[in-house]
Amino acid sequence: MKYRLTLDYTVPEGTLAPYFDALRQGQALAAQCTSCAATSFPPRPICGACGGREMNWRDLTGRAGVVRRTDTENGAFALVRFDGADGLATVALANPAERQAAGRLAVPPDARPGLWLQLENEDDDHA
Amino acid sequence: MSGVVVAGGAMTPFNRRKDGSGMRDWARAAFFDAVADARLEAGDIDALVVASESDFFTLQLNPAALIADELGLFGIAAQRVEGGGASGHLAVHAGAAMVMAGRARRVAVVGLEPSASHLPGAAVGALYGLSFDAWTDGMTGIDSTSLYALSVQAFMEETGAGQDDFAAIAVRNRQNARANPNAHLPLDIAAADVAASPVIAQPYRRLDCSPLSDGAACVILAGAAGLPDGGAGRARIAGMGVANDRVRLGERARPGRFEAKGVAMRRALAEAGATAAEIGLAEIYDSYSGAQLQALDGLGLAGDVVGAEREGVFAADGALPVNLSGGLLGQGAPVGATGVAQVLACALQLEGRYFGRRVATPPRYALADTHGGVATLNAVSILEAAR
Ligand SMILES: [Zn+2]
Repeated sequence: MKYRLTLDYTVPEGTLAPYFDALRQGQALAAQCTSCAATSFPPRPICGACGGREMNWRDLTGRAGVVRRTDTENGAFALVRFDGADGLATVALANPAERQAAGRLAVPPDARPGLWLQLENEDDDHA
Repeated sequence: MSGVVVAGGAMTPFNRRKDGSGMRDWARAAFFDAVADARLEAGDIDALVVASESDFFTLQLNPAALIADELGLFGIAAQRVEGGGASGHLAVHAGAAMVMAGRARRVAVVGLEPSASHLPGAAVGALYGLSFDAWTDGMTGIDSTSLYALSVQAFMEETGAGQDDFAAIAVRNRQNARANPNAHLPLDIAAADVAASPVIAQPYRRLDCSPLSDGAACVILAGAAGLPDGGAGRARIAGMGVANDRVRLGERARPGRFEAKGVAMRRALAEAGATAAEIGLAEIYDSYSGAQLQALDGLGLAGDVVGAEREGVFAADGALPVNLSGGLLGQGAPVGATGVAQVLACALQLEGRYFGRRVATPPRYALADTHGGVATLNAVSILEAAR
């Protein structure tokens, strides 16, 4: 038998709405724990370091260094360290043909959530 | 020790179905063969636990009720258990818990998944992307292989493991699978074939990846008192452990290490009253060739896992044979069925009646290891031979 299912989700972003609003502008909004100052990006509602539940929003520059990358037929992905964040984040590379080891958070294509990084040279930084 | 007996079990072949059969057929085949193997009747079963990873794959919500009906079981306790790639194994744990708690006498655990036949591979891949953090990973289009690749790169850097080691595993598991009539990829390949297969996500090539498979597996769990001859000769689940890790790889202190497996393992060993050194056989969740080494490392089954791999410790004739079934790489991976089949393989090996490549001398303990995500949700069982 054949059966076709088309789904069109609307997903409320809850606590993370400010992060997603910023992301759609290409801005990196992190969560900083008021207890231990650990900074998570993407943000965590509960501190990953101490379990604290009070978080403040904190703007990051959006710049990140590439720690590891892997290239596939459908693009390239990387583990990167965003300036000011503890820990790493997985991103899709917006310009996978480039090989620079750093980049800047990019506006997600088609307003999708998720993190895209535009690779660029240090001297391309106009922030 | 849990004292839950694996009274019997059965599985269908794992492969890409081309015979027109569907998941309801596979579930029935696995269930009735398992009941017969346990020397029971279907009417002896008073609880059913169904494992399937995703309604997107099965196109069936409330699958436990549907499968119970398909099996002709009514008025029984039925539930579905899900935990990504670990779904089948978690279902075994749920069934065992029912027996231990006295909530059921004889539980059928049925794992199934139409991972290959229902949807195009690309659609399955896109859905798998949602099994990490859908909001940060899945919607970028990152796939399972890429996340595992990023993880194993860190493992390689820290341990010196190389692509040659991964190729050796990719070859060995396929060679083991050649003795398994239920295997999806019983391939007679060599390391050069792995190296010549296309790159999927560096460092992984096509032959480093496990396939999408169709199939079902079933085990019957019971207390000894509920079985003919008190379950004589049948293996027991001596210890179980489950532990989760951070979903987002980048938040782990060591993204290359499957550390939560160690937590699950210590829990299972404590319950079994066993030590890691006493494990004489293992079915390991080798969703990727390198993941097999990462798993063995995380479980604490070797101090220097790369050295042990190169010395042949994990070969069929080694001190700790791993994935004699072929593992996911060779036997295949219909997600909900995978963990059930791993537990079944361990039990049958301990009983000396495994249908594939057998361990030379059945050990006292065997280990089944399964996970969802990139070792995010980890389930471990230690099975013990009857004495
Ligand atoms: Zn904190």
